[in-house]
Amino acid sequence: MMMKGGNKVLARSLMTQTLEAVKRKQFEKFHAAASEEQANIERNPYTIFHQALKNCEPVIGLAPILKGGRFYQVPVPLSDRRRRFLAMKWMITECREKKHRRMLMPEKLSKELLEAFHNQGPVVKRKHDLHKMAEANRALAHYRWW
Amino acid sequence: MDSVGTMLKGVASLVSRVRKLDPGHLRLGTQAPQSLAAQLDNQVSFESPRAISCTNENDPAKHEEKHEGLHYNLPLQDVKTVFPHGLPPRYAMQMKTFNEACLMVRKPALELLHYLKNTNFAHPAIRYVLYGEKGTGKTLSLCHIIHFCAKQDWLILHIPDAHLWVKNCRDLLQSTYNKQRFDQPLEASVWLKNFKTTNERFLSQIKIQEKYVWNKRESIEKGSSLGEVVEQGITRVRNATDAVGIVLKELKRQSSLGIFRLLVAVDGVNALWGRTTLKREDKSPIAPEELALIHNLRKMVRNDWNGGAIVLTLSQTGSLFKPRNACLPQELLGKEGFDALDPFIPIQVANYSPKEFESCIQYYMENSWLQHEKAHTEEGKKELLFLSNGNPGQLERLCAYL
Repeated sequence: MMMKGGNKVLARSLMTQTLEAVKRKQFEKFHAAASEEQANIERNPYTIFHQALKNCEPVIGLAPILKGGRFYQVPVPLSDRRRRFLAMKWMITECREKKHRRMLMPEKLSKELLEAFHNQGPVVKRKHDLHKMAEANRALAHYRWW
Repeated sequence: MDSVGTMLKGVASLVSRVRKLDPGHLRLGTQAPQSLAAQLDNQVSFESPRAISCTNENDPAKHEEKHEGLHYNLPLQDVKTVFPHGLPPRYAMQMKTFNEACLMVRKPALELLHYLKNTNFAHPAIRYVLYGEKGTGKTLSLCHIIHFCAKQDWLILHIPDAHLWVKNCRDLLQSTYNKQRFDQPLEASVWLKNFKTTNERFLSQIKIQEKYVWNKRESIEKGSSLGEVVEQGITRVRNATDAVGIVLKELKRQSSLGIFRLLVAVDGVNALWGRTTLKREDKSPIAPEELALIHNLRKMVRNDWNGGAIVLTLSQTGSLFKPRNACLPQELLGKEGFDALDPFIPIQVANYSPKEFESCIQYYMENSWLQHEKAHTEEGKKELLFLSNGNPGQLERLCAYL
């Protein structure tokens, strides 16, 4: 999803720059923190990345079901890969659209990843919004036939 | 430290000389003699793991063969005064992340230090040219030399990157001093500010020996200090290039008198003889000679003065119109440049030797920079060695995201 026009080299370099940015930010925090908190600060960029994406995965999704001429948004369970896909897609669209004009992708991505790691930030908010919609439409759940 | 050093020799055999332009890691590793048994190695590694890749010897003057490959610490205060503008950007980032500046002692620098210690100041200044592949550590070697000279109280004339003066210049003014030449006020004033930070104490001691007239109303009298010329250049940006020219001329003239020793350090010296990307208003290209800054610098690099040394670095990275794999002096300087620099001592800066590589990895591990689990294993290290081919720059970039 990061790749555009098959430019894997660029996508790869953006990812490595993001990981480096995440690592440097965490090191800054580490050096600034007192020794008790130093054990809690995670500095491995890979664990941060995986944990952040896990925090962004929705548990339940909505599907449009046609019944009686109208489309109803019905809460539906999502498969594992669909969840991972949605987490990554949300993360990337968020970084592409909602950034300041001159901010670079690695910088913005690293910021979003760190926020998602702490369960804050716009992507996690979007996941919560989806959950709330699904909860609101709970009554329509029996429209699902699978 | 010496006893520990000797003990570490066996362990330090892995110290690689990486003078890599690793952002932020200049490591000075001391190599302990390999005569020590492996048992001592184990003991040592538990007692003082930091000592394996670092040494306590922080004075570049005392760095010897046995310190080869180990990292030494540069006090941050020194870094601010001596290198206001000289460090490569990745190294500066590394310095910021680790809160310390560590440089590795490597053979090319040791060689240069040896020559500098034995220079005869009555003879004309000798030119040393550091050359090598991209990313091997030429700029950081230069920084090591500059630190040494700063400690020895030389006057340092450091141009961080000559390529910045021949490209991407916003305003080019026609020079007031000589109608054919062009001035670059921005670059000149920035350089003057940094020059002032580095050499504060000399500026009041050196007196200029000639009268210079800036314009109808302002002039500088004979006998006033160099500091005033620098101030004038910084405040009046229009005359900054001329101020630089005056500074260079006076320093060259007075270094032979013996009051101070002059070190001319230019990074990317091949910019002085190449082509520029700057154009006049009528879109015709400008040759480097027509830029006043370059013209004065060329005069500085000629060895017709004594009382100091000239250390130069070639660089393909910022160079204009040169192929990517050009790294030898003949290729990068061109015929004109090579002839101008002709009697010079070439010093090659190579990739990390296995010891230096180990030392570099050790330093990273001490600062817990390598967070990936597999990076700590033997196979991980072999992979890193293979991927970077011992190239300091590549290794640094690889380890950045691991």
